Amino acid sequence: MSAVLRARHDVRFAVLPPLALYAHLPWCVRKCPYCDFNSHEKGDALPEREYVAALVADLEGLLPSVWGRRAGSVFIGGGTPSLFSPESIDALLAALRARVPLEPGAEVTLEANPGTAEAGRFRGYRDAGVNRLSLGIQSFDDGRLASLGRIHSADEARRAIEMAQDAFDNVNLDLMYGLPGQTVSEARKEIAEAVRWGTTHLSAYQLTIEPNTVFFSKPPALPSHDEAADMQLAVEEMLAAAGFEHYETSAFARPGRRCRHNLNYWEFGDYLGLGAGAHGKVSYAERVTRHERPKPPREYMAQAGALKESVIASRELPFEFMLNALRLVQGVPSKLFEERTGLPAAAVARRLSTAREKGLLEDDPLRIRPTPRGQLFLNELLQLFLD
Amino acid sequence: MTPLERIRNFSIIAHIDHGKSTLADRIIQRCGGLAQREMSDQVLDSMDLERERGITIKAQTAALEYVARDGGRYLLNLIDTPGHVDFSYEVSRSLAACEGALLVVDASQGVEAQTVANCYTATEQGVEVIPVLNKIDLPSADPENAIREIEDVIGIEARDALRASAKTGEGVEEILEAVIAKVPPPKGDPQGRLQALVIDSWFDNYVGVVMLVRMMHGTLKPKDRILLMSTGADHLCEQVGVFTPKSQPCEALAAGEVGFVVAGVKDLREAKVGDTLTHALRPAPAPLPGFKEIKPQVFAGLYPVEANQYEALREALGKLHLNDASFHYEPEISQALGYGFRCGFLGLLHMDIVQERLEREYGMHLVTTAPSVIYEVQLRDGSVEAISNPAKLPDPARIAEIREPIIATTIFVPQEYVGPVMTLCTEKRGVQTNLHYAARHVVLSFDLPLNEVVLDFFDRLKSLTRGFGSMDYEFKEYRPADVVRLDVLVNGERVDALSSMVHREVAQRRGRELAARLRGLIPRQMFDVAIQAAIGANIIARENVKALRKNVLAKCYGGDVTRKRKLLEKQKEGKKRMKQVGSVEIPQEAFLAVLQRDGGQS
Repeated sequence: MSAVLRARHDVRFAVLPPLALYAHLPWCVRKCPYCDFNSHEKGDALPEREYVAALVADLEGLLPSVWGRRAGSVFIGGGTPSLFSPESIDALLAALRARVPLEPGAEVTLEANPGTAEAGRFRGYRDAGVNRLSLGIQSFDDGRLASLGRIHSADEARRAIEMAQDAFDNVNLDLMYGLPGQTVSEARKEIAEAVRWGTTHLSAYQLTIEPNTVFFSKPPALPSHDEAADMQLAVEEMLAAAGFEHYETSAFARPGRRCRHNLNYWEFGDYLGLGAGAHGKVSYAERVTRHERPKPPREYMAQAGALKESVIASRELPFEFMLNALRLVQGVPSKLFEERTGLPAAAVARRLSTAREKGLLEDDPLRIRPTPRGQLFLNELLQLFLD
Repeated sequence: MTPLERIRNFSIIAHIDHGKSTLADRIIQRCGGLAQREMSDQVLDSMDLERERGITIKAQTAALEYVARDGGRYLLNLIDTPGHVDFSYEVSRSLAACEGALLVVDASQGVEAQTVANCYTATEQGVEVIPVLNKIDLPSADPENAIREIEDVIGIEARDALRASAKTGEGVEEILEAVIAKVPPPKGDPQGRLQALVIDSWFDNYVGVVMLVRMMHGTLKPKDRILLMSTGADHLCEQVGVFTPKSQPCEALAAGEVGFVVAGVKDLREAKVGDTLTHALRPAPAPLPGFKEIKPQVFAGLYPVEANQYEALREALGKLHLNDASFHYEPEISQALGYGFRCGFLGLLHMDIVQERLEREYGMHLVTTAPSVIYEVQLRDGSVEAISNPAKLPDPARIAEIREPIIATTIFVPQEYVGPVMTLCTEKRGVQTNLHYAARHVVLSFDLPLNEVVLDFFDRLKSLTRGFGSMDYEFKEYRPADVVRLDVLVNGERVDALSSMVHREVAQRRGRELAARLRGLIPRQMFDVAIQAAIGANIIARENVKALRKNVLAKCYGGDVTRKRKLLEKQKEGKKRMKQVGSVEIPQEAFLAVLQRDGGQS
């Protein structure tokens, strides 16, 4: 590593951050027009066995960088991971466990879509070791679901939730608001229904138009900025009233049910990213690296196990830390910055005080915590950490 | 040395797009001035920018050799003229250097306002005008109508107008023959006291100022001590020569000829267009007539978007000024925009050109304030102040009277558009002074306040007449006017760069329009932004830009950090390009909001 950048501050870790595993299964039945994740429409048959083998090879290539470390969580995301059979998921989880030991009680999440949900599969996933299911419901309104290009109906979504709760005691629902043509009262109705299902976790996002999506080239008519802000308020009020804790910009959990895997991202932990288009971050004693996998599944499968990592310049670390940590409603303890970036507190002191002067960060020296205004204007807050 | 009777000095008068440059190219080509491979399109337009705009700003010239049908070998000096209303003085000096002019009229479009103005200038100066109908090859050509218009409007005989197509080359030889037959040879005494008319001057990085001159009397050689009569500047002549159009040094320039002079002049302001050059030791008794100091008429503030670019802007303005002495600049401080420059231009087009060159050639990012004219402000104590920046207007209590510049305009429009154009002129406080019909066109004369014209008059005229209207103007006089200063307050703070002078009668409406337009231009921010329009202490309009309620990325789960970083960097970059006034970020376009008006509501 002769090209390591020596910026103003050197990276030096006393203790390495916690580790998580992410595996990306990139296929979907159909690509949704708003989706900018790395997903590909599946053909007739999925190369399940071949792809799981590639994930394992990929992990083996990464093992030397996390030697001796345990993982606190596994997240199988997509795409639509529930297109894979429980047998494949079982094989994958067994292979991961055999190579990176999981901590006792580790959280193992799998994403599933109602359109591909089958009761038998949910139980199969549970038997394979999955202990948390995340369902991409998005909406309980057939018209809205159609406008989002979703292949499931509202009733299918409801059945999927029932089956998920039957198999798992820890279930997340993904819900979107600010949908084409949606009014504030319609959004409230959707939230009310989501609450009634009594799941342990809700992720409520505003629909945003991302580059390289169908919606980007053919933008639908979305609710105005003010309506979307009203919907966000409604989400926060109604979920708080129902006993959910709002712990991250878009994440709400029953007490004790925060998503540990995602918290690890937001607390700037390490994670291995396996699978097509996956990203990972690994800390070493004196540097932080990232890795990124090729997006096309075929290309990935051909190269898995022979992929490289690159060093994150230390001057980029403060922004990346804040990009994650400031999403947390409670923020993080101030010392977490040094623990997770390996940089001295001085690297960010001036910018923190600017943010406090602007009323975007709470005036608490022991925590780095956004004010309510800082949460609403998180982008403005984050820009203070850019040059 | 060519005898006088074998010299012809002529220029081409034409409206933009009527084919002047193409015809000049053809003539140069026909006379073998440039080999085919050297012939870039429209060689006379030297600057790229001019080529793109299809106009010629700096007059250039070509000394061409032509063997006529009578077997005689002639020296033809083609003197190029600028083709835009802002440069009418330069045109008059180019014409003063000629004995003849080709009046080129697009046979499909007929006569246009500027052509007429330039043609009048030519005939007043006794220049022989030869009408040429160009683009005769176009199916839409209507030579009969064009001839009628030339006769009706300009009042010269056009029955025998030459018919040509600069594009195909048809008729070019007939034009050259007509130049020889009809344009009188120059007069002048090569032995007389030196009088040379400065037709144009420009700055060359290697030799300093180059002057293009028409020799009226006497002979000029290198090593002669020369004197520029208006400034009294005294220099040693280093080099003389002609353009073919490439520059070609020669031993001497004599009466009747056109050529260039290099004399170690470093400052363009010492070589003014229209000045007379003479021998320092044996000066002419008097300068040539017609010299005028040209003064800027339109002023605007130019500010760097980023404050640290101030020095770079000063340097760029200095370099531009080397090449264009007609624009003025001086440092100015605006509370809203910081350090910048007040710049004076001959007109709106000139302003556009300078601004574009600063951005294109010098990479400057500029905030430009709305253009203003010079007001004469008569104070109660009897003194008079010239105010070119509305923000600098003295306290109204001290003002006895404000006088504004009035221009005499001539507007050419096809008959069907007369109604709307008259409405426009009246709305702009114009006073009609004349109207007459000429074939398909109507010639309207109006006295108009220049202030009204610098805003959106040209654009409105063009759109009202579907591009067929044209206009020309000259300064007439200062007249008392009931004008007031319209201020804009953003969150209670006056933004000096948004102040403008308006007539009292329309102030109310303009204030409302301006506030509404600003509301549309100032993006929502983290705070409410109050926009007020005010005259003195009177708030006449109020608008509110509601605060944004949030600005946050919905999703972030590890993954591709670089994309999120780029998105936020872009948001931050966008803010840097805005001007911070108090805590409010104002985009550059807002400073031009004063300029755009909602037309036709009155």
